[in-house]
Amino acid sequence: MSAERPVRAPGRWAVLAALAVLAVVMSSPFLIVTLNAFKSPAEYSSGGPLSLPKGLYLDGIIDFWNRVDFGEKLWNSLLISGAVAIGAVVLSVLNAYALGIGRVRGRLWILVLFLVANTLPQESLVYPLYYLSKEVGLYDSKLAVILIFTVIQAAFGTYLLSSVLGQFPREILEAASIDGAGKWRALSRIVVPISRPTLSVLLIFFFIWTWNEFFLPLIFLISNDNQTVPVALGVLQGEKMMDATMSSASALLGIVPAVAFFLIFQRTLTRGVTVGAIK
Amino acid sequence: MLKIGRTAAAAVLAASALVLAACGGSGDPGGGSSSGPRTLTLWHYEGADSAMGKAWAQAIKEFETSHPGVTVKFEEKGFEQIQKTAGMVLNSDEAPDVMEYNKGNATAGLLSKQGLLTDLSDEAAKRGWDKLLSPSLQTTARYDDRGIMGSGKWFGIPNYAEYVMVYYNKDAFKKQGIEVPTTFDEFTAALDTFAKAGITPIATGGAEYPAQQIMYLLALSKADRAWVDGFQQYKGKVDFHGPEFTYGAQTFADWVKKGYISKDSAGIKAEDMGVSFIGGKFPIMISGSWWYGRFQEQIKDFDWGSFLWPGGAMAPGSSGNLWVVPEKAKNKDLAYDFIDITMNKDIQNLLGNSGGLPVAADPGAITDPKSKELVENFNKLSSQDGLAFYPDWPAPGYYDVLVAGVQELINGSKTPEQVLDEIAGPYDDNLADIGN
Repeated sequence: MSAERPVRAPGRWAVLAALAVLAVVMSSPFLIVTLNAFKSPAEYSSGGPLSLPKGLYLDGIIDFWNRVDFGEKLWNSLLISGAVAIGAVVLSVLNAYALGIGRVRGRLWILVLFLVANTLPQESLVYPLYYLSKEVGLYDSKLAVILIFTVIQAAFGTYLLSSVLGQFPREILEAASIDGAGKWRALSRIVVPISRPTLSVLLIFFFIWTWNEFFLPLIFLISNDNQTVPVALGVLQGEKMMDATMSSASALLGIVPAVAFFLIFQRTLTRGVTVGAIK
Repeated sequence: MLKIGRTAAAAVLAASALVLAACGGSGDPGGGSSSGPRTLTLWHYEGADSAMGKAWAQAIKEFETSHPGVTVKFEEKGFEQIQKTAGMVLNSDEAPDVMEYNKGNATAGLLSKQGLLTDLSDEAAKRGWDKLLSPSLQTTARYDDRGIMGSGKWFGIPNYAEYVMVYYNKDAFKKQGIEVPTTFDEFTAALDTFAKAGITPIATGGAEYPAQQIMYLLALSKADRAWVDGFQQYKGKVDFHGPEFTYGAQTFADWVKKGYISKDSAGIKAEDMGVSFIGGKFPIMISGSWWYGRFQEQIKDFDWGSFLWPGGAMAPGSSGNLWVVPEKAKNKDLAYDFIDITMNKDIQNLLGNSGGLPVAADPGAITDPKSKELVENFNKLSSQDGLAFYPDWPAPGYYDVLVAGVQELINGSKTPEQVLDEIAGPYDDNLADIGN
């Protein structure tokens, strides 16, 4: 195989070099955070953010873990993001089945509405959502955040899936209906299995997006035992003081789960993207 | 690239496994188990290692001892979360019984105007808090019907104080043969000696609060109490082209020109300023007492000290943040008891010995020599009625106006007169808004 390998053109080397530079630039914040997470506050103060730590200083991470009870925050984030990801995918599939395959009357306008809803800044939603959740007694509960994000993510999911399902081969559905499959059966036995790669990509994106949400959880999760990981990280930012080393430690703890999740599902992700590309 | 990602991830996973192992035994600090029928919910946003964090942790212990059957449910909050959500939380049933909140018109004043805070006037008189707090500290505790500080009902109780001082590197002073300056002339002479030796003397940060506080300090050296009341509490008109601000802006610009303040400092943040002083890169830093505890802990390589601003009798400073009791709190009586404990001598002394600035400590009980210096200087400033609050207080959003103005002074992109015009505008707009 190596004998057949074509000689690399200079252009490809340039692309490789550019990618390498990009990789360094992209990963440098992560590296700096990691560097400072293992530094003692005294080392940080005397050497600045770019100096190398003299030893492995784990107190910052351990103290932060205990201070915010990080295990509980992880569980909260996992619960909320997981519920939202699954709920939003189910909702998107149902909506998109009706809009993309069912061809509901006025579907274009419904899609435009979803798109507009998707572009609304969260800041403008805060007060209405605050009053609504207070009315129904869901203020300061995880359920409120799950409901809100399920709807927000499903708005995007519906928009995307509707256009995907709009291209769904009609012949397969017609064949199924001749064989006596009803609408439910067509959805569960044909549409969902065939579009599974797309659905997995949506699931992963919804999970990571919800995981990283900060603003609405900050507003709605008041009690510390309801808080998610990004909100817990905010505890370290004082009024005039910031603890740079502990902030780095917390940032490291905060990104590790999302990175781990990404790495685990990375294969699904690439597969889903390529499937879409071939079609 | 993928390979690099994997190795990094493996390292991270290994590290997090270590952490997991190390933290296996962490319990629930929230105290969910209810040993009695009542719970006091308490929120604050001071770090556990700060002077306030230590003193208040002790106060919680004392409260639980003196109130058997009551559990304290303490939740440490982020500053930003409280700032963003206080109005909404206090208007709901999730309001805590007692919480720390920022002093000032735009924060505690606003909430008091909206009826979200409990009037503490009766308790303050009954429990003698009004006697413990000096008049300038009371300014930030009391708000009138418009939510403007300085008079009216008590809506908060400050537990600590803060002021801006001059931190100096004793070793660097000795090296240049400079004595601690006691007058403004001696101070500028010291700055000059450093500048001539090729050292930029003053560490500051133009991107955040430090630089504007230096300009305000300079303005204060030509001001009196009536001017401060005029500027901060809208009692009388402030002329931005009067001698005070003109001197402040002009001198600040001169200091940049003479090299006392670095031209690069326009983009420096407060944290970087502090780190550069701790690292011994500048001999002088003019900033607040909130650095004190950190310096005590982290400056190891040189001897340092602090002195009051030699340019005048006044300096930026005020009470610290307030204890407030939300109007919707369910256990107000317990909240009052807790505030009372934090005003006790032993809690206040602990606060003082931990590098904080207590409001009602016993001066003799502060044993740590550095902390003694801090408290004694504050008492001197306070007794000469020298707390002049902060320049960004008078108008909402004024902080950013001042940051921009002072940055222009540092960069030399505008003259002091132009900058003064620029910062006068939003101030006067605000006066019109509140109907003065």
